[in-house]
Amino acid sequence: MTKNYFEIFNLPEKFDIDLVLLQDNYREIQKKIHPDKFTTSTENEKIQSMIKSTQVNDAYLTMKLPLKRAHYLISLHHKNKKIILPPDFLMQQMEWEEYFESIQTEKEKINEFHKMIKDKKNDYSKLLQNQIDQKKDWDAAAITVHKLQFVEQLVSKISQELLK
Amino acid sequence: MALLQISEPGKSTMPHEHKRVIGIDLGTTNSLIASVISGSVSILSQLDGVNLLPSIVHYAEDRILIGNEAKEHQVDDVSNTIVSVKRLIGKNINDININNVPLELTDGGGVINIRTRQGLKNPIEVSAEILKKLKLTAEKKLGGELMGAVITVPAYFDDAQRQATKDACKIAGLTILRLINEPTAAAVAYGLDKKSTGNFVIFDLGGGTFDISILNLSEGLFEVLATQGDAQLGGDDFDQKIVSYLAQKYQIDLKDLVNKKNIMLVANQIKESLSTKKDVQVNAEINGTKIKELFTKEKFEEMVQDLISRTILSTKKALHDANLNLNQIDGVVMVGGSTRMTCIQNSVKDLFKQNLLNDLNPDEVVALGAALQADILVGNAEEDLLLLDVTPLSLGIETMGSIVERVIPRNSTLPVAMAQEFTTYKDGQTAMIIHVVQGERELVDDCRSLAKFTLKNIPPMVAGSAKIKVTFQVDTDGLLSVSAEETSTNVKASIEVKPSYGLSENDIKNMLQSSFDLAEDDKLSRSLAEAKIDAEQLIDLTQKAIDEDSDLLTKNESTAIKIAVTEIIAALKTSDTDKINLATKKLNTEGEPFAAKRMDRSIHKALTGQSIKKLEF
Repeated sequence: MTKNYFEIFNLPEKFDIDLVLLQDNYREIQKKIHPDKFTTSTENEKIQSMIKSTQVNDAYLTMKLPLKRAHYLISLHHKNKKIILPPDFLMQQMEWEEYFESIQTEKEKINEFHKMIKDKKNDYSKLLQNQIDQKKDWDAAAITVHKLQFVEQLVSKISQELLK
Repeated sequence: MALLQISEPGKSTMPHEHKRVIGIDLGTTNSLIASVISGSVSILSQLDGVNLLPSIVHYAEDRILIGNEAKEHQVDDVSNTIVSVKRLIGKNINDININNVPLELTDGGGVINIRTRQGLKNPIEVSAEILKKLKLTAEKKLGGELMGAVITVPAYFDDAQRQATKDACKIAGLTILRLINEPTAAAVAYGLDKKSTGNFVIFDLGGGTFDISILNLSEGLFEVLATQGDAQLGGDDFDQKIVSYLAQKYQIDLKDLVNKKNIMLVANQIKESLSTKKDVQVNAEINGTKIKELFTKEKFEEMVQDLISRTILSTKKALHDANLNLNQIDGVVMVGGSTRMTCIQNSVKDLFKQNLLNDLNPDEVVALGAALQADILVGNAEEDLLLLDVTPLSLGIETMGSIVERVIPRNSTLPVAMAQEFTTYKDGQTAMIIHVVQGERELVDDCRSLAKFTLKNIPPMVAGSAKIKVTFQVDTDGLLSVSAEETSTNVKASIEVKPSYGLSENDIKNMLQSSFDLAEDDKLSRSLAEAKIDAEQLIDLTQKAIDEDSDLLTKNESTAIKIAVTEIIAALKTSDTDKINLATKKLNTEGEPFAAKRMDRSIHKALTGQSIKKLEF
């Protein structure tokens, strides 16, 4: 497949995409090419359906998750440039990590912290949308993606803790 | 473009005939088969009239008994009567607690060996005996040879357990259409029956395994969002709690196999009675020791509290992985005989704050779903349904310091492939070892070792300059395959696989041979018949493909295909198996670019239809 992921799913090349349409289109494609549709076909068709179905799954995962979608969009425009994270964000990261460790047993505080970081995550997503879709500022977007990646990991770490 | 004239008059290969297929639920305690007959799905009862075949194999002096006939010997001949073999399949002796198994087990190098009077038997062979019996019953009931079967496995089965199940089918002479996950099969039975849509939780507690799957059901497509579970937790463990309690209280020696078996039977009866009663009066005698006591439901629930908590924790984890809240769940389906325990039902009800769906028999629903899926896969069914399932466990590779690097995360939709690049660390290095593991833990020793791959024939280069791309592919049966390539020179590095578990191809071949002592002549005529069918089918399918998409063929491709078809037709007249197979292979090779183009067109078509539909609104 030489098409890019946006072309595969027939969507405009933007960060802010219609997720319902993405899911619909993904499902329509898999209904046609999934290996289960080829159990009584030729060896060639079985292999081809396996290859294409795998590629479509990979593309869907990239498109579905905002972080991966942003990475992908940036990679289409901003080829292999090195980015330098601002030092104040590194300080911020350490502060959050330390705070999270200090409240390990206090469920109430963990909940509050969880909400605060989730808000941060939304802020970065909105910022990213503006940087990619409006300003097309790939350098700035590349930095925001890294920040988003960090807070996403932190959110999932806190959720795990809350499950216990 | 002129079409090929290839079908011989009056010999159209495969019209829309009904194909004989079944679904098999190969359970820890019981096994079942089901099939779709004239449009409706039902359990095929065993020859003795009951639906459940106890998954028990008894090795007698001169024959092998299966099911109820074997069950009769579970006390008087414990060590030759194999119960719950599913708990041993795809495992190594170190993986299991020998104390809970009333059998003589030894290490068979990659498999467990069970000492019986008919010699050492491994769990794959024992499972194959059950499958052979099921196959025979199905063929009698359906009146002819089976085209294939869908076999269910616990969603939480790892690669080794899936491969072992597949090998057992091979030894039993069964063609596998697909391995599907038990909770997914249950969802098919429910979803198609009730025409439900939305997010559903399938809570599946069987005799020896626990699975939880969360699916989104929509018209024509069921998508698994997340799966969790515990391949070492089932109804047996609830029995075990009672066993430990009684053994301790009444000082019963569990090293004695007969004692152990007897007390297990008592425990099982207590548990089952408590599903319908508040308490049960136990009066039993084991090896001279009298057991007499009133066993209440409260006492039982207290004993098994930790087991229940484990199922609830898994359920919460699955919801988290699926990114859903409790109130986004439209239904909770209970599957597996062990969900009859009221303590389980109450805990699940409390969690979801809604009534549970259990109107399909929890013992039968998995087999029914498997049969429906088999019917759909071979094109018998009018209903069109696609199942998108996921990998239950992450796949990773060992890196420096015995740390696992994740290659394919759990809950990835199948089929999935990921590539990873490796490099050499010494000048002129021509080989390297890759250790593949499965599991969620960070250290290699805490995960399941699946296989070690040796990459050979790497072109000698300066350290760090070779680029070896290793691709891990998990297919729709949930099975892993690995390929490797040196990308800077395009040399395909050869791979030697040493699985950590299971049987080698040769072992399987030997078991197959001893299993079907076909006369040499029979084998030859059988392989010729198979070759002919394959060839005719390929011609038929090629013709259909050309009818649909002839415009995608270049002139060269079209000529090559025509020549290949002519060669097959000539080969078919010779009755020479090798010649026919060779010609078939050639047509397959010539058709490869055409097949790829057709698949791309399918993707394109899937969406152009869609956008027109959208425009109409």
